[in-house]
Amino acid sequence: MVKRYPGRDRPAVEGLSFAVAPGEICVLIGPSGCGKTTALKMVNRLISISDGDITIDGQNVRSLGLTQLRRGIGYVFQQIGLFPHMSVEHNIGSVPRLLGWSKTRIRERASELLELVGLDPVGDLKRYPGEFSGGQQQRIGVARAMAADPQIMLMDEPFGAIDPIARDRLQNDFLRLHRQVRKTVIFVTHDIDEALKMGDKIAIMRDGQLVQLATADELLAAPADEFVARFVGEDRGLKRLRVRSVRDLELDPAVSGDAAVTSLMTDTSLHTALSSMLAEGLTQINVVDEDGRPIGSVRFDAIARLVAPPETAAAAPAAAESSSR
Amino acid sequence: MRSSDPLTFFFNNLSLFESKVIAHLELSFAAVGVAILIAIPLGAWLGHIHRGSFLAISVSNIGRALPSLAVIAIGIGILGIGFLNTMVALVILAGPVILTNIYVAVAEVDPDAVQAARAMGMTPLVVLWRVELPLAMPLIFAGVRTATVYVVATATLATFAGGGGLGDIIVNEPTYGTAGVIAGSLMITVLAFAVDGLLAIVQNRITPYPLRKQGRQAKVEPLANAAAWQAPGNR
Amino acid sequence: MTVALHLAPAAGGPVIPNFGGASNCVVQNHQFCMSWFTHNFNSVFKPALIQHIELTAIAVGCGMAIAFAAAIFAYKQSWFGTPFSLLSAFLYTIPSLALFELLVQVTGINRFTAEIGLVSYTLLILFRNTLTGLQGVPPAVIEASRAMGYTPRQTLFRVEIPLATPAIMAGVRIATVTTISLATVAAYIGAGGLGKLIFDAIQSGFKTEFVAAGAMAIALAIIADILLVLIQRAITPWSRHRVQTF
Repeated sequence: MVKRYPGRDRPAVEGLSFAVAPGEICVLIGPSGCGKTTALKMVNRLISISDGDITIDGQNVRSLGLTQLRRGIGYVFQQIGLFPHMSVEHNIGSVPRLLGWSKTRIRERASELLELVGLDPVGDLKRYPGEFSGGQQQRIGVARAMAADPQIMLMDEPFGAIDPIARDRLQNDFLRLHRQVRKTVIFVTHDIDEALKMGDKIAIMRDGQLVQLATADELLAAPADEFVARFVGEDRGLKRLRVRSVRDLELDPAVSGDAAVTSLMTDTSLHTALSSMLAEGLTQINVVDEDGRPIGSVRFDAIARLVAPPETAAAAPAAAESSSR
Repeated sequence: MRSSDPLTFFFNNLSLFESKVIAHLELSFAAVGVAILIAIPLGAWLGHIHRGSFLAISVSNIGRALPSLAVIAIGIGILGIGFLNTMVALVILAGPVILTNIYVAVAEVDPDAVQAARAMGMTPLVVLWRVELPLAMPLIFAGVRTATVYVVATATLATFAGGGGLGDIIVNEPTYGTAGVIAGSLMITVLAFAVDGLLAIVQNRITPYPLRKQGRQAKVEPLANAAAWQAPGNR
Repeated sequence: MTVALHLAPAAGGPVIPNFGGASNCVVQNHQFCMSWFTHNFNSVFKPALIQHIELTAIAVGCGMAIAFAAAIFAYKQSWFGTPFSLLSAFLYTIPSLALFELLVQVTGINRFTAEIGLVSYTLLILFRNTLTGLQGVPPAVIEASRAMGYTPRQTLFRVEIPLATPAIMAGVRIATVTTISLATVAAYIGAGGLGKLIFDAIQSGFKTEFVAAGAMAIALAIIADILLVLIQRAITPWSRHRVQTF
């Protein structure tokens, strides 16, 4: 189930060409006006394609009937757009109803999805959208998009209007959901941190064109040009540490003394590890298992080596030797 | 004085029309004047203290529901016939419209402006007089305009209560003939439009320029019965 | 062609209809004689009331049909909105008695003429409210609807119109109450209803009839208003909750 993306639409999007693998979350990101939303909306033809093709599983989106196409694609967007006059159950059941599902089947599906998105599968069925907070409404929005089990989900800045704390939770919950459900997702955002967190692949766009398509780590390690480097942030070195954890390192032996003052777990991000080192004034910290037993330690230079560019790897041990004293 | 053509009838009876129109307008403006005198202070104060919205809504609902002829009829039953009776009936019909409009107008004045005024140290009365009323003026005037057109139209019915006015011609076919009835009907129609048009011009003049584009509806949408302020209700 | 009413009370004092055994209250023409009212309710007032309700219902029904169709058309073809609005506003501004009198010249003195006039008066408010209601549907909801594969027709009937219902119902309320009032005047050109009783009473000078008929008309209007509010609340359960729109 692959989505191919060659597309051309006025100057808004030009010569955009890439493929999204099945079950992958592909994030489109770029500055305002770069065409990311336009590109997204061309998939379900909310915006028409002037030139080029978008194919889903080999089938051109233009060859399918518009209604049929859209009923097979889940769409979540920033303003949510839940139907205020329908209960949650009916909102989620919007597309299934169009497809002719029975009432029982719809209700079961709605319950199932409510549970999946973290809401009350029984009590919330009959409530109305107006009774929920913004974050909860968007959860319902996601459930609604998934109701008819579409091949693809399009998400246009879905968490943009939600407060940062709720947004963080929503992102985590969506990632957890995605691990279970494995849909192909195209996700638009303008927030680089969200992109790095959510995306299996990230496509950076500018002025309607694709600038770089890479994984989060690749993007941070080797930005294609000045623009990308600035876009991902000047602290991209540190950012890389967020996506790695202690388990990515080969552990040194555990130590006692100063280094035992604080400890890390195997799933602690390297970003947190480094932060602890700086806060405690250490260059080496022990790693413990769930029971608190030391199983090794992490050294500053090991972290540095992991994220250093390949050519300085040889020089690093020498520099690290002197700094770890 | 019979004539088969309304226009001819009109020109033959100019003085008649003149006196009727004057009587009609006298009645109308007197009623609107009294309604304003009663409704504006009350509505302005309630709006200023932001109390009595339930009262305002109820008054408007009931006022809108009052069938004008019925009010006049009851008026006849209780007060008898004549100018005074009809005027009272018209005041009862016009009052609610003006009251509700002024209440909404004052209550919905930009709270930031009011807050700034109070922070500057203005007393409540001064705030009302210098800030709220001027800002509310366009909407207040909209209410006055609606009420006036409504009263002018309804005053046609005054004839049934001996109040005079153009209604006298319209309902009196034996005396004035079909042509007269038609002429009278056309006259009152023209009068209604003329009054509406004139007041529209005045309203446009007194609306501060920035508010003109949004129209008076901008302030009123919050209340569910937005259209009620526009519609003269019943005639 | 117009019904001729002499409106000044007869020279020798009011003529009291004598239904036989007239009570003292009636003979002296007090404000309101309860006994006369209850005695004659079924024969006099009830038929008039029913007639009045019929008159109103037909007018609002037809007006709704026309205005609703026009509003949907204007919603889809925006050029239509202003002309229709102007036309209905024009009709609305014409004072009722005048409009009825002018119509009579064309279609005669009968209920049909009255209905034409009454329907004309409902058009403005029904059209305006329906159109405003439709235009007030949040764009995000329409976008969601189209994106999930609703056809334009499905969007209109399942999303836009239901969400416009509060505004539409508000219009129906105002139109109904207004029509009840105007129907009293329509009696002048032969439409019957409570207005007829009022005109009869004006002619005869019988106070009880004035007051009774007038009060009934007022009561009818208020009851209709309340009923329609209740209906509106019943069919829009979601409007009781604040809806978050962006």
